[in-house]
Amino acid sequence: MVKLKKNELDRLICRLAGSYDVYAPVDIDGNVEFARVSSAEDMDQSRTVTNLSPKEIFFPKDEVLFEYDADGIRPADSMDRPIAVWGIRSCDTKSLMLLDKVFGSAIQMPKEERFQDPYWKKRYDGALLFGAACAEPLSTCFCNWFGGGPFATEGMDVHVTDIGDAFLLNPVTPRGEDYLESLDFTAEVSESDRKAAAEIAGSAEAVMSPPVPIDGLDQLLPGLFLQEEVWGEVSAACINCGACTFVCPTCHCFDMQDEGRNEKGRRLRVWDSCMFPIFTSEASGHNPRSLSRHRVRQRVMHKYSYYPVNYGEYLCTGCGRCITVCPVNVDIRRTLLKLMTHDGEDG
Amino acid sequence: MSNPYIPVPMRVSRIVAEDPERNLRTYNLLFENDADRERFTYLPGQFCELSILGKGESPFGIASSPTEKDHLRFTVNRTGSVTEEIHYLREGDIVGMRGPMGNWYPVELFKGGNVLIIGGGFAFTTLRSLLVYLMDHRDDYRDITVVYGARSPELLLYKEELSAWGERDDLKLHLTIDNPAEGWDGLTGFVPTVTKELSPSPEDSYAVVCGPPIMIKYTLPVMSELGFPDDRIYTSLERRMKCGIGKCGRCNIGPKYICIDGPVFSMAELRDIPEPV
Amino acid sequence: MSVEKELRRTVKDLLEEGGIDLFIGWERGSLPTVASPLFITDPVDAERLIFDITCGSNPAVYFTKDRRQFDGRRVGVVLKGCDSRSMVLYIKEKQADRENVVMVGAQCNGVLDRGKVASAAGGREILELEDDGEKTVTLKGRDYEIAVERDSILSSSCLSCIHPDALECDHFIGEPRQSVTREQRLREVREFEALSSTERWERTRHEYEKCIRCYACRNVCPSCYCAVCFVDQNDPPWIGGTCEFTDSMIFHLVRNLHVAGRCVECGACARACPMDIDLLLLNRKVAMEVLERFNDEAGMDITAKPAMADFKEDEKQDFIMG
Repeated sequence: MVKLKKNELDRLICRLAGSYDVYAPVDIDGNVEFARVSSAEDMDQSRTVTNLSPKEIFFPKDEVLFEYDADGIRPADSMDRPIAVWGIRSCDTKSLMLLDKVFGSAIQMPKEERFQDPYWKKRYDGALLFGAACAEPLSTCFCNWFGGGPFATEGMDVHVTDIGDAFLLNPVTPRGEDYLESLDFTAEVSESDRKAAAEIAGSAEAVMSPPVPIDGLDQLLPGLFLQEEVWGEVSAACINCGACTFVCPTCHCFDMQDEGRNEKGRRLRVWDSCMFPIFTSEASGHNPRSLSRHRVRQRVMHKYSYYPVNYGEYLCTGCGRCITVCPVNVDIRRTLLKLMTHDGEDG
Repeated sequence: MSNPYIPVPMRVSRIVAEDPERNLRTYNLLFENDADRERFTYLPGQFCELSILGKGESPFGIASSPTEKDHLRFTVNRTGSVTEEIHYLREGDIVGMRGPMGNWYPVELFKGGNVLIIGGGFAFTTLRSLLVYLMDHRDDYRDITVVYGARSPELLLYKEELSAWGERDDLKLHLTIDNPAEGWDGLTGFVPTVTKELSPSPEDSYAVVCGPPIMIKYTLPVMSELGFPDDRIYTSLERRMKCGIGKCGRCNIGPKYICIDGPVFSMAELRDIPEPV
Repeated sequence: MSVEKELRRTVKDLLEEGGIDLFIGWERGSLPTVASPLFITDPVDAERLIFDITCGSNPAVYFTKDRRQFDGRRVGVVLKGCDSRSMVLYIKEKQADRENVVMVGAQCNGVLDRGKVASAAGGREILELEDDGEKTVTLKGRDYEIAVERDSILSSSCLSCIHPDALECDHFIGEPRQSVTREQRLREVREFEALSSTERWERTRHEYEKCIRCYACRNVCPSCYCAVCFVDQNDPPWIGGTCEFTDSMIFHLVRNLHVAGRCVECGACARACPMDIDLLLLNRKVAMEVLERFNDEAGMDITAKPAMADFKEDEKQDFIMG
């Protein structure tokens, strides 16, 4: 572990910017989201949870897959430099690991190239992630339901604790360790620094509500699948907008769309949402999920049943963004509790 | 690393209109690049995304058999803007293709057994692939029986081949149409009813059922009634699809993605999925 | 008797007397700043009802969810002035049957804007909110407590609301509230109109650049209930799906026009937006145009023909002549 004086942060960011595209939380018109920075001044590190998740660094809202013209198809020019991220929270680094299981490898199949997403891999595989400890968890934070916590380090290369006048940089991976070793402007960590960090960690943990045990939720859900009434209840208020899915760090559904005219154009992928009826409606007019409750069920099943079946863990990191943005206060924690305590009888 | 989102160019070598309204057309496609052809290996039941640049993509089951080495074949029903554009293609035109995608009918497993192929309407595409494949490996299989139905005689696909197959004595072909029609000397009645009446033996047999959802819905119980165990009944499913490689998140039934875990499923697999098919 | 108490009693009676099968209102949300829509069939649950500054969404929207899900049931609903105009719109547009809806108007003192209240708290998390209903709202967090002026955190639609009381209702709870003058309502629009075309373009661009195309604005909007929204027309697509400004702008401008003469200025869209886009400005501008050109306001008169479904020979036609 090394110490970085706060007035040296800019030096670190500039140094990173020499070889990486550096992203950090930035206040854009009152919304804090991850954006390119070239100095520490660009950043806003005040939010525990940013408005938009950093998934958009690796899986942008819209992304050109390829361009075409009379000469043929060219894969989109993508960046040549690796990505570094400063100030990413543990719920968000965990989410990138979950997404990597989808985009980086394959579902229940040998790791064949054709199941790897080159756009994701190019960004994520070489990324250097400086994670930020959460000194002030929010009431909507429920990362501890999923084994996380305000000081969790999963998915980070370097874990960063703000101790007031300095940051303590703790390497998590060899990649992080190598990078820290290459820095010549860090200081040694004193015993009092460690103590300060431990105190911050202790008070952050104390703020968190105790986790609700959700072991077995994935086993329970398939049995509830056909119980229309309970899904009707948990989806009654939902207006089926896509706000929860778009701010979610683990939602990754997308649409592919062409733009072009006269032999010149491009194919894009854009974020899509299982909340929209059009998501599954077929050319014949048939839609397997035409009702609101069936789409809400899909979202819940995907996160807490299907993904666990395929990958062995929940597709949720408890960041709480969906709770904060929902215009009608559909709280996923309440939904899960309702499902877990459902008596199993329809009607 | 190869990029699974990039279509490869294919040249249209032959177009056949299958029905009088010409809504159903069959396309033979040839690889433009040798490298693409060499990389492309497939088995009956798999599908491809055909791509019209500027319009988008649609998935189509491969109607040719891997034993027909020179071309890929697809039958395209005109239903939307992509299929409409495909219908405007002429021989010699280029179309994009991504694939092969999905799994296949378990032709290795079928070896040494009887195979019953049950199809309806224009979903006969991958069943044609399967049938041609089986006939080209005829010695590996015992009885091969086909029940194929359509609303009317004109809507049966691959009519020339059907009459050729009808002549063979190593294949039992039963064609049926929904209602009697002038000049029709085959069977009449819906596929599930006809299948029930033919009463094929489940002994050492595998059944492959493919057709419109309503046909599948009523045929699968018939197969069970006839004594076919769930792990010997196969079907091919469809859902709205985009990426075809298990990423975009829309074609699932339960935890399975049709595009990579399917489209071919056994009844036994489907029974484990909470979502009704 | 407080508004809430009276509301609970009224709803309990309605459910008990068999007047309605279902009542739509709000209950305390899991967050202090936003209430949760509540659907009740059991009179006992009437005790859960609240009606306050956090009841920001427009409950009329549920009448068109899943294509008229309430058909065949008699449904009661608590309504702010704006919500009642949406119900009137629905009745006129045959999306709800007047005889099957029991409209319960309630005294509305405005609802809060989550963006404004978050700014008022300086970005700190709000754990408690106390509203005196008149001048002051107290916000409390882990280590702070501040009193803010009530008006400073109200939705801008409420600050210039000219019809806070339900216009059409079967029951009214509380005291009717003084409405503001039209000048206040017009001010923002007039300021916008006074800008040069470049400035208007920049202002609009600035707002719509934030859009992430989640369609929260569309889905909370009672006036947006097309079976297939134009943005979902995808074969062939009518509009690009990216978050590039040109695509987002087309979505918002077309939505503005689709709700012309139908937007009741409830502001639910602006409050729902996760990116805090000022969605009200252009909707209000269009509403002003409709008022000035056709002398019509959406959802005001249950018998009048909607402006966009009517034609009068003396209408201003300068847009044709130039």
